[in-house]
Amino acid sequence: MSYIISFYQTKFGELWEKSLTSLIKEVIFGVLKEASLKIDQINAIFFANMMAGVLENNLHIASKISEIIGKNIPIFRVEAACASGGVAFHLATKYLSDNSKKTVLVLGAEKMTDYSPEETTAALAAAASGEEQEAGLTFPGLYGLMANFYLQKYHYNEENLAYVSFKNHYHGSLNPKAHFQNKVTVEKILKSPYVAYPLKVLDSSPISDGAAALIITNDKKLIKKSKNLAKVLASEVATDTINLSLRKSLDQILATKIAADQAFKKAGIERKQIQVAELHDCFSIAEILAMEDLGFWRKGEGGKKIKELSTMLGRSSLTVNPSGGLKAAGHPVGATGIKQIGEIFLQLVGQAKERQVKNARFGLAHNVGGSGGTAVVTILGN
Amino acid sequence: MISPVKIWRRQKEKRLILGKTGKIISWTKVYLSAKDFKNITPYPVVLVELEGKKNFVGQLVDYDEKNLKIGQKVKVVLRKTRNVNSEEVIPYGIKFKPI
Repeated sequence: MSYIISFYQTKFGELWEKSLTSLIKEVIFGVLKEASLKIDQINAIFFANMMAGVLENNLHIASKISEIIGKNIPIFRVEAACASGGVAFHLATKYLSDNSKKTVLVLGAEKMTDYSPEETTAALAAAASGEEQEAGLTFPGLYGLMANFYLQKYHYNEENLAYVSFKNHYHGSLNPKAHFQNKVTVEKILKSPYVAYPLKVLDSSPISDGAAALIITNDKKLIKKSKNLAKVLASEVATDTINLSLRKSLDQILATKIAADQAFKKAGIERKQIQVAELHDCFSIAEILAMEDLGFWRKGEGGKKIKELSTMLGRSSLTVNPSGGLKAAGHPVGATGIKQIGEIFLQLVGQAKERQVKNARFGLAHNVGGSGGTAVVTILGN
Repeated sequence: MISPVKIWRRQKEKRLILGKTGKIISWTKVYLSAKDFKNITPYPVVLVELEGKKNFVGQLVDYDEKNLKIGQKVKVVLRKTRNVNSEEVIPYGIKFKPI
């Protein structure tokens, strides 16, 4: 059995003074310090990043990390668009299940704000199909197609979507590492300009810089010594066709449903036992679809449920996106999946401070690549 | 720049559906685009089910706002798909037109 023993993240946001290399360096030494470990105690590193190759002609970062740490251990780079972090974590747990008495560091980092919105939009679209790129579809555009279909099918409107951002900005206001720490009103969200109809600026996660890292171990001596522990109960990955036009349904992310069903089976717990979840709210519609596809809400009732704000901190038995989610905490693509798992770790070990969910025993992280071509569901327990 | 051979590979498949008709399953209007599409923003993109139940995505052209609705009937037309400079091969592909 593997345990997370430590988590560290940089602040997410427009970090003008920081390069990708400096972000990586900060989280490696930050997470080691949190765990009171030395780099010699790390047996392998898994590194999640999507865009450095496209945006800054920067590849073979494994070797650059070796230079930073001055060690010759195996280092693997993982890319699965916005699910890079979740997949890196999954591979790290597989590495541990094949190797006993080992400790690995999983980190994700992304530098996005050095480029124009058009350059970043084009680079993100590399994770869409050729046909979708040729149609001029962007990521907001793909989720816009899903949102419009959902709203019409279940007779909701843009106000229903706005409650996702309202809730997540409130949570972000409690998180000092969040990109945005301001609350927003539903009215302000509805008045923000469109990015891709029916999705507006305040339905959308931002372009952020940032990095996050976790340490996972199966070394019994280290587990015994560690003050903070969260058990990895399940980490499951599923994939699906990248083309929206080839999907059976536009109001479901099938990869999420498959990964969730497998994860709950493996963890041996019920949906109702999850008290805290970090979901992939790259756009407001994505959190609603995720709540339904993960099995927390029935298909089609999400638009109504989100308006009740039952998943806001302190309101019910399940809090969703206490970090602020991608919407308010920020979305440095490769770092997101690691930050989500890190937030669940903080919640389970009781270190989430102002945004602490009381007596959390089980938590779930849900990370999606592209418009649903990859989904990772991770379940932790304490 | 998109290589000419890549454009050719795409075009030889797209010609098979030219002129076919179908209906809009969902639509969006893109306000923030990649560079090659910036000169035409905002532009609508539709997901269409053609006869024979196969789905395709493409931009909607020659339209009125009232055509932006689920269920709208459309036809596949051939159009220039990207704004490229004078040295590059002009890429053509499918778009949709209301009928």
